[in-house]
Formats: sequence, structure tokens, C-alpha cells
Amino acid sequence: MLAFDLLANGLIYGCFYALMAIGLAMIFGVLKIVNFAHGEFFMIGAYTYVLVALKLGVSPWLALPCAAVSGALLGWLVERLLMRPMYQGYASWGFMKDEYAVVVTFGLSLLLINLVDKIVGPYSFRGPPLIDVSRFALGPIMLTGQKAIAAVVSVLLMIGLALFIKRSVWGKQIQAVAQNRLGASLAGIDATRTTSLIFMISGMLAALSGALLAPLVNPSPDIGAFPAVKSYVIVVLGGMGSIWGAMLAALILGVSEAFFSVYISYDYRDAFGLIILVVVLLFRPQGLFGEKGREL
Amino acid sequence: MMFRCLRYLAGLMGFAFLLSPAFAADPILIGVSLTQSPPGSVVQGTQVKDGMEILKDMVNAKGGVLGRPIKILYEDNQGIPEKGRAATEKLISSDKVVAMAGGHQSSVCLAEIEVAHRYKVPYVNTNCWSDDVRKRGYPEVFNTSPYNTLVSSSMATTLATMGVKRVVAFAENTDYGIGQAKLTGELLKAKAPQIEYKYETLDRASKDFTAAVLPLRANPPDVIVMSMLPPAAYLLMNQVYEQGVAPTAKTLMYDGGGLADYPDFWQNVKEGGKYLLSFALYHPQMKQTPLASDIAAEYKKRTGGDINRLVLQAADSLELVIQGIESAKSTDSDKLIKAMQTMNFKSIRGVSDFSNKPGFGYQQWLEIPYVNYELTAEKQPIAQTVLIQAPGQKFDASKIVHPAK
Repeated sequence: MLAFDLLANGLIYGCFYALMAIGLAMIFGVLKIVNFAHGEFFMIGAYTYVLVALKLGVSPWLALPCAAVSGALLGWLVERLLMRPMYQGYASWGFMKDEYAVVVTFGLSLLLINLVDKIVGPYSFRGPPLIDVSRFALGPIMLTGQKAIAAVVSVLLMIGLALFIKRSVWGKQIQAVAQNRLGASLAGIDATRTTSLIFMISGMLAALSGALLAPLVNPSPDIGAFPAVKSYVIVVLGGMGSIWGAMLAALILGVSEAFFSVYISYDYRDAFGLIILVVVLLFRPQGLFGEKGREL
Repeated sequence: MMFRCLRYLAGLMGFAFLLSPAFAADPILIGVSLTQSPPGSVVQGTQVKDGMEILKDMVNAKGGVLGRPIKILYEDNQGIPEKGRAATEKLISSDKVVAMAGGHQSSVCLAEIEVAHRYKVPYVNTNCWSDDVRKRGYPEVFNTSPYNTLVSSSMATTLATMGVKRVVAFAENTDYGIGQAKLTGELLKAKAPQIEYKYETLDRASKDFTAAVLPLRANPPDVIVMSMLPPAAYLLMNQVYEQGVAPTAKTLMYDGGGLADYPDFWQNVKEGGKYLLSFALYHPQMKQTPLASDIAAEYKKRTGGDINRLVLQAADSLELVIQGIESAKSTDSDKLIKAMQTMNFKSIRGVSDFSNKPGFGYQQWLEIPYVNYELTAEKQPIAQTVLIQAPGQKFDASKIVHPAK
């Protein structure tokens, strides 16, 4: 019975991690940079959901798309104001592009945390659940309505994203820009607009992840740190830039943490994911689904 | 000509000096290092600040201390020991405060008292429960705060009286949490060796404790003890509730940190807070000093909320400094320390029995009133809780309410 419980909880949390990590993987896939403010997209989404639902009295189901919009808007602003210099400004010359990304996104992370801390306040708020079913048994597994619904919504979002990337015109443009930015531009694809779209999708997914978890984790200004760290592990484990890799790695991380915590030691719970990462990278340095490459 | 100008200037300056208000004395600076942003407990830091500000305003309205107003300088330590150390260093060496107060998280206190000891500046421990703060034996450190030996002893007696067979404790990974959980186990073993007790350490920065809670579903204990602070404590309570582990007819939760006192308790915990047993340092049914009543009324006026123990503890620690200055008739560190060691402190909360025995009782007021109560309804005000142990009375297990299933 415990094993079923652990598997179920591991998969559910894996879905949440996946939603968060996919956005990060997309940004890396296109721009080859890590967004260190990704955790704060999660935080903004969580706060938007909580504040819209609690302060404005709006239904949580309507607060969810509000969170998505806030994440998309933030992603667009970040790309437009902060990231564009990397491929249109002095940093596009290739010098210090990575350093620029680290400094800017790290600074943005600190700014967002402190802004929310000062404007909203440092107290944590429990978000209202999407469905008012506090707990129920599904066979041997105990779940809450929120966890069940949030997991379903996460899976639907991931399926939707996969179809979008594979079948839609925009999705094909994203794939083209990820493969070769210059080549895509020469083929008539507006690479700048595509990059904007990627940031919007990334922000939206992270914000939705935050909103879905808000009733479970009681958001506070520093709530973004824990999913962000998991996301970095997942993106590397799955293969930098690989969306499918990120999804699979997230599920592996969620389930392995759940089992190792109980059967080995809870004290080293956060270390297990890192151990798996190290072991995988020893044998597959490109990650599970990444591609080997070399920069000249 | 020049000499005449200088004479006029000197005359003007003298005139200006005479005109300056007679009561514009330098303020007495008191340093407070507390948590105002994560990852530490911000709600605690806010309560401490509220208590300090209310008493400071009351004292200044009556003319201050030795004719000088009190001014409190705050620094945010974020609940991180290194930042607490840096904050205390700055307040003492740069801002020249006459005393430090307001410490409310044990791990941070342990770092801060080292600085206070080095500079020989009085440090009043507002809410650091770890016995280690006292065991260091620093003469500069005065403890009006509750202490783990008191709390753990009470909790162990409670658990022994309840007649339970198995207890699991969750402790946050700090000096307070681990210290309390460990000591409770030791004292419980001495009082009731037949009770099976174990504790597990949880990361206070974590958001998911499911893996720690799930194993309890198969083998639920009789009591789950919590030695944790918000926000992690709220998350744990919710997750224990969501997994159906507690509260049930078999398993209750027992809080050793006064969680139900905090203003954001019910907004974060909801149904998970029902049937929570709580060791508490404040209850409306406790006898209050007139000053405590005044502070409670002022707190209600300013915040709209009911007073709680942390606000009173903060006011009490500032009151100790004030009475020390009045007794010493000076803000000199050595005189202040001497005065605080020898004077008869009139506590706002009614704490008494100042001890200077080495160990957990060093420079600690040992007699601190407490109660045990149970929350029996969601959003229940403290005044309406079931008092399982009234002030000065024995614990009455027959008053405990269990859920139907």
C-alpha cells in the first residue's frame, strides 16, 4: 500500500516539476542560456492565482488563466527588455553572452522576490483549491481533490504543448529556430518573434505550475527556489533543450525522491535527484534525450 | 570689523543654544535583529516588532527613560545565523546601541550572542528557546524567553498523562526544533519509559513532507508532536491532514511551538488545525498585569487582532532593558549588566525566579506561566478553545476531544 502511495505522489509531483522544467528546457533549446529567474515565474503565477481568487473573490477556475496570462506577460517583458540585447545588441557579438544571461536573470530573480515581499508582504497565503474535496481514497491511495485535478490539468497542458510544438505552424517555427537560428531567419521565420513566443510559453507554464501548487505549498516570496532547483536538475538530466527529456526526467525525479526518502533516508531527500543526475551524466553526458554537440 | 563680526556670531550661537529645547536629549538606542524576510519566520519577526514598538511608544509618551526617549534600530537577519551575526556587529559597533533585544530564532541567537559577548553589551533573549543559548554562560545574555527544558518537560508530562503508547515527533532542522524534540524524548523516557518515541528532522525550507508522512498511514502513532515554525509547520499540518494520518480518533497532533497564536494560522491551515493540542504561553484566561492589558488593548487598536504571547514576550524583553537602565541610572554596559543581574524585574508577563545556575537556567527567569489547550473548531479564537491545562493546574486528559473517526 505504501508503495502505491509513493508511486502516485511521486508521479503527481513529477507532473508539476515537468510543467515547470519544460519552459526552462525550451529557453535553453533556443537561446542556449539558463534563465535563473524561472523560479520567480512560478512564484508570480502562484501569487496571481491566490490574490485574484482571494482578494477579488473570483472563482479559482478563472484565477488559473489569470495566472497563465501573468506568466506569459512576464515572459514577454523579460524577453523584450532583458534578453533581446543578447542577439540584437552588443552581447550578440558572442562575447559574454552566457555571463550576461547569468547576471541579468539572477538580478531579475532578486528583484522579483523583493518586489513581491514589499508589495504583497512576506506572509504565506494558502490558495483556494480548484475543487473543494479535501481528501478522498482512490483504492489504496489517499489524494486530495486539488492534487488530483492539478495532476490532470498538468498532463493535459503537456499533451497540448506537445501537439502545439509538433503540429502548429508556430511550433514548427520554434523547432526551426531551436535547430538553427540563422538558418530559420534565412528561411523567412521571424526568429525574434519566435523567441518572444518561447518566453511567453515558458512563463505561462511556470506560472501555471505555481498556480496549481498554490493550494498545496502556501506561496511566499521565496517559493520559487525549490521548484527552480528541481528544474535545473531535470533539464540537465533530460538533456538540455529536450522537452520530452524534461518530461521523463521530471517523472523519474518525482518518483525516485518519493521512494528513496522512505526506503533509504528522508534526510538526504534532495540529494537523491543529484545522485541520479551524476550517475546518468557519467554514462550519458548529454542527458537522457540530449544530443551530443560541440561548439567551435 | 572682523572681530566685531566674530563677536556677533558667537552671541548668535549662544542664543541659539539657549533656545534649543531642554528635553532634546539624545535618544537611547536599542538594537533589534529580527526576521523580516524569508527564509526565516517573518510572522514571528513582525510580532516581535509590534510588541517592541507598542511599549516603546508608551514609554516615550511618559517622558522616556532617564529623560531620554527610546529609539529602536531594526536589522533584518532573514532567520540566517550569519546575517544575524553581521546585523548585531553593525548595531553594536557602528550604531552604538546600549543593548540588544528581540532575538527570536535560536540558531540566529546563538550566533548573535557571540558578538554581544565579545563587545560586552547586554543581550536580552526574547524568544530563543534552545537551552544552548543559556548553557554558553555569557553574563551579557539575559533570558526572559521560554526555554526548551520548560517546554519539553511540560510536553513530556502531558504525553505521559495522556496514556499514549506511541509518539512520533517532527522537528525542524534548527537548534530549536532538534533541541526540543531530543529533550522531549529524553524527559519522556524518564517519566514514562513504556512510551515509544522517535523524532524525524525535516528541512524547514522544504515544501513537500509527503515522504515523511506517508509511512505513518500504515502505522499511525497516538500523537504526532510538532517542533516546527511557520511556514513549514503549516505545510506539515496540511499534509498530515491530507494523508488522513491526523487528526483521527486514534491520532492527534500536539504543537510545541505556539502555532495557533500566529495571525496567519487559520488562513494557512484550515481543517488541518482542528483538534490540535497546543502548549501555549498565553491564553486570555491567564492572569494579566495591568501593563499587559494596556499592551493588549493597544495591539487590538493598531492591528485589529488579539494579543498573543510573542508580542508580550517582545515587550517584556524591552521592559527588562528599560528597568535595567532605570536601576543602573546609566546606559553604561557594565553597570547595565550588573543592574539586570541584581534588580527585582517586574515582568509584564509575570515571569519570575531569576536563576544564575550554570546550564539551561543561567540568567533565565525559570517560572513562566503556560497552559495546554485544544482547538476544536475551524477559525476558533483562542479564548474559545478547550483549556486542557489551566494556569497552575494539572493536565486533565479527560477534557481532550477526539474526532469521531
